[in-house]
Amino acid sequence: MGPLAPNEIISENTNFLLAFFIGIAFGWVLESSGFSSSRKLAGIFYGYDTVVLKVFFTGAITAMLGLLFMSLFGWIDLDLVYINPTYLTSAILGGVIMGAGFIMGGFCPGTSFCGAAIGKIDAMVFIGGLFIGVYGFAFTYPWWEKMYMAKYLGEPKISTTLGMSDGMFGLILIIAAIGMFAVAEWAEKKFPREAY
Amino acid sequence: MKPLRLLAMFIIPMGLIIAAVPQNKTNPYKLTAEELLSEVNTRNQYVAPDVVADMIVKKDPSLRLIDVRSQDEFEKYSLPGAVNIPITNLLSPDYKDILNQDVKMNVFYSNGTLTANEAWMITRQLGYNNNFVLEGGLNYWFGNILNPRQPSSTSPDEEFALYDFRKSAGQALGGGEISVTASDNQAAPAAKPAVKTAAKKKKAAGGC
Repeated sequence: MGPLAPNEIISENTNFLLAFFIGIAFGWVLESSGFSSSRKLAGIFYGYDTVVLKVFFTGAITAMLGLLFMSLFGWIDLDLVYINPTYLTSAILGGVIMGAGFIMGGFCPGTSFCGAAIGKIDAMVFIGGLFIGVYGFAFTYPWWEKMYMAKYLGEPKISTTLGMSDGMFGLILIIAAIGMFAVAEWAEKKFPREAY
Repeated sequence: MKPLRLLAMFIIPMGLIIAAVPQNKTNPYKLTAEELLSEVNTRNQYVAPDVVADMIVKKDPSLRLIDVRSQDEFEKYSLPGAVNIPITNLLSPDYKDILNQDVKMNVFYSNGTLTANEAWMITRQLGYNNNFVLEGGLNYWFGNILNPRQPSSTSPDEEFALYDFRKSAGQALGGGEISVTASDNQAAPAAKPAVKTAAKKKKAAGGC
């Protein structure tokens, strides 16, 4: 049955409409979890607030379990689900740049729009920087192209690379997540910060 | 600590279940029995041998002949440019790119039409487009394209035209010798079936 759009069960336009509503719901959840505050977001790097890790990892695990169970029931064809192709060099470089920007700016791209929506000036400045980066990259693309396309690995899955089933890897990830959450809560007690 | 315990109590059992059950690798059929029946009834999967012969002679790049017989039979005789996908290996992942595409017109052929039709039906049920069956199979091909019978002198012009076309096509494809009959009508093979270019399956991208 699924995924709905690639199997043409719903049209491309319906897909965009659904994405619109899901996007609004996502923004609402981000804002109500406090993700529009750069101090709260940056807390993950200092240990006083780990809500970023907890929310995103819980989201990822929920999605993972949902996909695995839906595939088990034959509701979705996982072969048709988009996997971001891996270009190793740009993935590592992008991760470093994104992480550095996250620490310095206090936002990740999605949450900056969330912050801007409730009128936070730092978030608006962050979005300005984001666009400078996007256009700067686009206009100078020929300089980066070789590095950008380097070490193409296709669409690997960690489970296949490690030679285990998707479900087994899922279980390991869940246990790792629970462990990380425990460490995160310990860190929050260890490096408390009042009123941020 | 309480929400974490609650979360752990919920997701760890889910993880255990998903790790314990076998992975679902079944490729569900995309067409219902009714849809397939209606396609079978239209007989649109058949391509006339004259169309195929014409495309082979003209070296039409959109044609891809797929021999679904065994490798032995394929090596003994095959149509020009055909690839061999024995029906026993039809579902091998190596061939998925050939069978599931929307650029070329795949024409299955076997000795008769039975095996080719089996291949067509399986690929059709998987939702693949642009696969067809050579009407009449190789047996008809031998009897009518490579060794066409001369029509009787009272036959209409069209039959002579068809005979001339088959005669020259057969000659080009390694059949009998060429000799054009008096009729100057051009051989007009039937229009070839349109290759349906389905919208490329787009995968939706996303991110944080």
